[in-house]
Amino acid sequence: MGKVFQTLRSMRFGILLLCLIAACSVAGTLIPQDREIAWYAQNYPSLHGTILTLQLNRVFDSWYFKTLLVLLCLNLSLCSLVRIRGVVRAAKSETARAAEMKDAVLLTPEGVEKLRARLEEMRCRREDLGGASVYRKNRLGHYGTFITHLSILLTVVFGALALYTPTVTDQSCMPGESIFLPDGTEIHVLDFRITDETGRLDYQSRVQITLPDGRRSEEAELRVNHPFSFGPCKLFQQTFGTAGSVTVTNLENGGTDNFLLTEQAFLSADGVNGILYEMLYPDFLRDPSGNVTLITITEGSYPNPIYRFEVIADGDFAPTLAEPGEELELKGLRFAFNKPVEYPGLRIKHVSTVFNALLIASFTMMIAGLCITFFFEPVLVRTDAEGYAVGGPKPERMRIELGEEFRAYERTKGEETT
Amino acid sequence: MKALFFTAFALYGVAVILEFAGTAFKKEKLLKTAWYVFLAAFAVHSVFIITRGIAAKRLPLSNQFEFANAFAWGVALMLIVMRPRLKSDWLSVAAMPAALLVMTYAALQPMEIHDLMPALRSAWFGVHIGSAVLSYSAFVLAGCVGLRYLLMARKENADEHALAQMDYISYRLVAFGFLFLTVVILSGAIWAEQAWSSFWTWDPKEVWALITWIIYAVYLHLRLRMKRRGKAMAWFLVIAVPIVFFTFAGVNTLMHGLHTYG
Ligand code: HEM
Repeated sequence: MGKVFQTLRSMRFGILLLCLIAACSVAGTLIPQDREIAWYAQNYPSLHGTILTLQLNRVFDSWYFKTLLVLLCLNLSLCSLVRIRGVVRAAKSETARAAEMKDAVLLTPEGVEKLRARLEEMRCRREDLGGASVYRKNRLGHYGTFITHLSILLTVVFGALALYTPTVTDQSCMPGESIFLPDGTEIHVLDFRITDETGRLDYQSRVQITLPDGRRSEEAELRVNHPFSFGPCKLFQQTFGTAGSVTVTNLENGGTDNFLLTEQAFLSADGVNGILYEMLYPDFLRDPSGNVTLITITEGSYPNPIYRFEVIADGDFAPTLAEPGEELELKGLRFAFNKPVEYPGLRIKHVSTVFNALLIASFTMMIAGLCITFFFEPVLVRTDAEGYAVGGPKPERMRIELGEEFRAYERTKGEETT
Repeated sequence: MKALFFTAFALYGVAVILEFAGTAFKKEKLLKTAWYVFLAAFAVHSVFIITRGIAAKRLPLSNQFEFANAFAWGVALMLIVMRPRLKSDWLSVAAMPAALLVMTYAALQPMEIHDLMPALRSAWFGVHIGSAVLSYSAFVLAGCVGLRYLLMARKENADEHALAQMDYISYRLVAFGFLFLTVVILSGAIWAEQAWSSFWTWDPKEVWALITWIIYAVYLHLRLRMKRRGKAMAWFLVIAVPIVFFTFAGVNTLMHGLHTYG
């Protein structure tokens, strides 16, 4: 049991886990993820069996990848917990222990004086103990790696919670209409527009959220990169679409209905005669003899839209095209083809603001931990009349710097040099 | 404006040639000239970056050309900052060609100025990409120091003090690069949540940044905790450089993901 615990908290095991996570990640980027099974059979004819068995088609969702992450969390927490007491003790007793160090470099008296002046200049704190002076600085640096590791652990935990607990739905909504979520939240889309002021398209919706408890948000603008949060509901400008808009008037009683159409629909009063809306094309070309070529691909707003539908009358089908502004009368109904309506596709995310805040706090902690680790290296220098010694957990920098600066004052035992 | 870029490119090339010649023939004067030409190249390069930023009305960091261009500039900047600290010019032999190599990659990319696409118009843009430039440059320079270490360590009477110093400097460069790579990954996560609604999408660029991060984390542990020093660690840093290049350019060229902005 002791051995298992020893292994679980060891840094070697931690490094092994990191290497395995890296190896799985390489596989997860070399092999395209989450495709249809048939796709792997087609593209990796001899390997697809292995790929599927080893779950290399969804590495980041596989049991072994998740196990590695759990083990890493375990390893980090055990390692940090076990070490923290030692770190605190070491930080507290650093001066006393440094006082016991033997001189590693012997200096001339002038050198010692200069060294002391240099250490004062570096704003080291001085403590006189047992005939020697101990200069120290950056005690906080002892805790840098602990803070870093703790923040990594928290990032993995809160990251998993922030990734896997929200519910995400994508829905489109016509301007002026609302989306009602199962919990009673209402998202009202006031309007939507596509702009291309800078040559690159941008999409903007104006929305208002009403929570189940009746609280209502301000009207807010939603754009890519500028989501809008209200309570637990966070909205993203995800996609957009263009809907056909057809107004049908009953010529007998004057009643009208406006239809926004995104898919095939049969518009009829009697269920027999009417128009079968097929789709709206973004653009078309008409040659001199009147033949029309329909263009399906475009980016952003439809530059030159045209409706395509079947006119159905007395069992006859007639494929027909109409541009916005045109009208058609059929068996007591008038169909007016309006300017198409652009509408947003929204991503609606129910987030836990607490998890998100904790995750961001972990990020901040990680940056702080690394800054402390790298830029607050604990400095511990013991000097006496003979020379000096550098101690602490990271003596390297100080040894190199002082070694260089005071090389001219170094001496061997019994000898003086200038 | 292109003239400024190609002038800087040519000057970097001349600096590299002079540096190699000076090293091969042990001519101090040539080495000095190489350094001044390099400084001139850096100055022209800086002017190019500023003028491009003014022309584009944004930070010039948005596509492969601009990023590679900034990356080369970062390597040059880091060399200029580090050289006096090392009190020797040995670093230049490896780092100048590295800057030139990245510059060559930039020269092969389309150079037109484009407006930012909506997904890139964010306050995080500068933090995320600026940190990537600093981080990658530091890793490349650490690799150069590693290479120089290996070459020096082959000599029988190698100066132990200089070697220890090089070993330490490369560790500090990794520490600096690691800090900024962490900023890249974390700021990227926050930005991704705003733009794509998820902190992490296992996009190839994200994953390779994570792989690079892990590789350098392993280096830090080997060095700090296991007290590994010297040749093995220098080899580590040299071998890691192609991985940094892959994360920077290979992922965009060979893999498809959300970071493929052109
Ligand atoms: C998940 C990725 C990890 C990262 C990014 C990371 C980062 C770091 C950093 C930056 C340092 C300080 C290096 C320096 O001072 O230059 C460090 C030290 C250390 N790490 Fe990690 N670490 C990770 C995982 C682990 C794991 C899994 C263990 C296993 C127990 C571990 C154990 C240690 C130990 C023992 C030290 C030395 C601490 C000291 O002497 O103060 N680390 N780590």
